[in-house]
Formats: sequence, structure tokens, C-alpha cells
Amino acid sequence: MPRRSSLPVTFIVPTLIILLVLSMVPTLYAIIIALQNRELSSTAYSYVWFSNFYDLFFDRRFLNAVWVSVKWEFVTVIATMVVAIGLGVLMFEVASPRMRNVYCLLFIIPVLLPRVSAAFVWKFAYHPLYGIATYPYRLITGGLIFDPLSKPSTALFAVASVDVWQWGLFFAVIVLKLLETLPPQPIEAARLDHAKRWQIHAYVTLPMLKAPVVSLMFVKMIESLRSFDLIYVMTRGGPGVATETLDMYAFSQGFIESGKVSYASAMAVLMMIATVITFTMLWKRVQA
Amino acid sequence: MRLGLLIGKTVLAFAGFMAVFPLAWTALNSLKNNVDIITRVPRLVFTPTLANISYIVGRDSVMTGLYNSVIACGVAVLIGVVLGLPAAYSVARYPNRWAGDIQFFVLSLRFLPPVAVAIPLMVIWLQLGLYDTLAALIVTYSLLTISVIMWLAIPAFQAVPKEVEEAAFVDGYGAYSVFWRIALPVAARSLIGAVAFSFVLVWNEFLIALMLSSSNAKTLPIVASELSQQGMNVPWGILNASVVLLSLPPLLFLSVLSGFLNSVFRQNKT
Repeated sequence: MPRRSSLPVTFIVPTLIILLVLSMVPTLYAIIIALQNRELSSTAYSYVWFSNFYDLFFDRRFLNAVWVSVKWEFVTVIATMVVAIGLGVLMFEVASPRMRNVYCLLFIIPVLLPRVSAAFVWKFAYHPLYGIATYPYRLITGGLIFDPLSKPSTALFAVASVDVWQWGLFFAVIVLKLLETLPPQPIEAARLDHAKRWQIHAYVTLPMLKAPVVSLMFVKMIESLRSFDLIYVMTRGGPGVATETLDMYAFSQGFIESGKVSYASAMAVLMMIATVITFTMLWKRVQA
Repeated sequence: MRLGLLIGKTVLAFAGFMAVFPLAWTALNSLKNNVDIITRVPRLVFTPTLANISYIVGRDSVMTGLYNSVIACGVAVLIGVVLGLPAAYSVARYPNRWAGDIQFFVLSLRFLPPVAVAIPLMVIWLQLGLYDTLAALIVTYSLLTISVIMWLAIPAFQAVPKEVEEAAFVDGYGAYSVFWRIALPVAARSLIGAVAFSFVLVWNEFLIALMLSSSNAKTLPIVASELSQQGMNVPWGILNASVVLLSLPPLLFLSVLSGFLNSVFRQNKT
């Protein structure tokens, strides 16, 4: 820029101060609460330091919640990327420009829905007696009941399918747009070498898109952590604790079952530390 | 090869169908009486009724939820625009040695688990006497809207050709009027997309609203989720109608957001 001006200072300093206050105050306060023994039912509290954290390591439900969260991350991130790349490449290969636009518009719809809406839509669809998604099963088996949301072995996958429905289709649009920005020469060269279509994508186009696809995966990893609404509406962590992720367990410890705010906060703080460290490391690696 | 093409097109058509059918089915159910919803075999032909929709629209709790959602999201997005856009412009156009750190800081706000933010905020708002008020929700949502708008607006401002701005400087414009009269209008299309995106995000937000409101400040997603817990006789039709009402505002932005995606990727190409 040609001249010195007060603009950068007046434009960025107030915003940064507000962002810092809005983010640091709750963060620090979360840590302070985690070191106390606050409960919802009373105003009295004292410092118990690390005993909440200590208790967590002997809480089998907490350990289960960690495991469920890890499963959830893997299932949703991998399935989303598979659906996105599969459909993106498919659109690139077989759809005419006009149909591409139609599909792009259709595939953005699910991700725009509030998660609460998406969760309701699919909770109905999975209804064992009246659901539209379980209807084919009833039709084929002559009326047998299939209840994916209340079986511990299928509940997590049934909820995950809704997450993939929302994000996989949306990311397919982005993968298509990325493919469209690639220069056509390498693809034509591969075609002249008689490469099959899948080979072209596996060895030419997708390696060229490695960086943006990794970034997409990074975004999905962050978004997958925000699955509370889906699980809250569809299963409430059940059946049993089969779909109880960390945020679901923290919420029910803090507000539904026992009102142990400090205990819930200790969980949230551990989650925060884990995600900040993991994502900072991943981010530095993605950028490098 | 022709067979492969046919299979590919069929798979795509099926995916397109899957994208909209569940929602369309819900919309259809919102026009049905309960007897037409609770059937072993899904019913396509039925006598439509507006009873569910008029029940939803006539309910105070739903209308209050709608009002709260509109105000909380609207004001938070406005704050996001006022604070986020200028900050994004300054990061994009006046690079300094902290620019990278600022961008990472803004992104890192997305890592914070919502529970970790909501628990302490609940305690803080309770102590300040602001718990269950729209003001508390708006302040909390501003964190979200400012950071999202900044994150998306930085590349949008970077995509504005530098020459245009330099020409304006030569013409004697000051730094502020270059922002107002050149950068904002030129980047407008992408910026509107970014703002719409932040609106959709806060409109769809659930956990923070659930924890920061108990009766007065409940937003529409909370009201909708409560409707489902009315005893044994689930009012399926009403529930479907409330899902449709909740989903409409974000869907209004469908064309804005798809235009936004197109403009983002066109910039990358050139």
C-alpha cells in the first residue's frame, strides 16, 4: 500500500481485543471451574484442585465416552471423505455441465439444514414401524422390525450416516469444483497413454489436489467434534452409552443427571487441551 | 464403457434423490393427519391438512422461539459484519508479521469445544444476572460470527485486484474511502456469501442456546427439539411442520451460498 495510515490499527485492534476477551474469559473460567467443586444445586464451592481430573480416570463412563468420540471421529471423517471423493469424481466423469449444476444445488441442501432438523428427519426415517428408511426392510422381510437407533451395534453408524449425508454430499460439490480448476493437459496426456479413468484420478488428479483435500479433511475433523445436536436429538447417547460422546457425557453430568458443573467442566477442559494440541500440530503440518 | 457410464449416472441420480427425498418426505408429512403418517406402508396419496402448520404458527412458544432466533442471529451477524469485515480487510491488505498468527488465532476459535465455552459462560451469565437473556446469547454468538466472517473475508479481500485500489490512491482517495468505495463493493459478492454462511451457522446452533436459555431466550431449534418430548402420543405431523419451519430460513440462502462457492473457485482458477 502506497501510504501510511491509521487504518490497520483502527480496523483490527478493537476486533482482536473483543475476540480475545470473548474467547479467553470463558476459557480461563472453564479451567477455574474445573478446579472447584461447583454444583448446580448450590452456590457454595471450594477449590479441590485436580481431584476432578483424578476422578475422571477411574470413571468408566468417561473412558467409554473417549472411545465413542474417537470412533465417531474416524467413522464420520473417513466416510465423509470417501463419499465426497467418490461422488465428486463421478460428477466430473459422467455429468453434463448442466446436470453438474443441478447436483451441486441438491447436494448443498442437506448441509444447510439445522442439525436438529436433519436429526429429526432421519429419526423418523429410521422409525422401526413407520419410517421411510426402514420400509424397504419391512417390505422384503414381510414386516420384520429393524430398529437401527436402539441397537447398540448399529446406533453409532445410524447417527453417523446423517452426519455423512450432510457433509459428504457438500464436500462432493467442493471436490468437483477443485477438479474443474485443474489444468486439462496432464489428464489428456494420461488419456493418450491409455490410462483407465479410475487410474487417471488415482494417479494424476487426486495427487494434484492433495493439499486442498487434506484441508477439507481437517475442516471435517473439527466439525465432527460438534456432533452434540445430532446425538442429543437422535439417541441422547443411548442405547445405554453406545453413542455417548464426550460432549454428550459432559452435558448430562453437568446438567441432566447430577448437576456436577465442575466435573463436567474438567471433562470439557481435557477436551479443549486435546483438540487445541492436536489441531495446532496438524495445522502446522498442513501449512508446511 | 457405456455400461459404466450408465451405472455412474444411476449412482449419481440416486445420490441426488437421497439428498432431497428425506426432507421432501418430511414436508409431505407436515401436511398429513396423524393416521396417514402412522402407517406400515408409506402413503403418498392422502387428504392434505393445514392443521399442523396452523398449530405451529399459532403457538406462542414457537413464535417466541422464531423471534428470539431472528433477533439473536440477526444482531450477532450484524456485529460480525461491523467488526469482522474491517479487521479482515486490514489483515488482507496491510500485512504485518502477525498476520499469520492472527489468521491462526481466528481459526483456532473453531477448535474450542462448545461445551467448554458454554459451561463457564453459563456460570458467568448467572453471576451477572444475564442468564436466559437475548443479550447473553448475542454476545456469545458474536464470537462465532466475527471469527467466521473474518476467516472467509480475508481471502475475498485478497482477491480484489491490487491495481484497482492503487489507482484509487493515485486519484487521491484516503485509506478509509478506498475500503468503503472500492474494496467493499468489488468483493461484495464473496462477502455476502461469507455473511450468509455465518448466519446459517448461528441459526443452526444448538448446544450453546440450550445451555444459556431456560425459558425467555429459547431459540427455535430448542423449541423444536422440545416438541418431540411431549409424552407418549407423539404429534408426528406437528413435529414435521416445526422441522420444516426451522429449515426454511437457511434454505433461503441456498442460491447465495452456491454463488459464493462458484466465485471462490473461479478466483482460484485465474
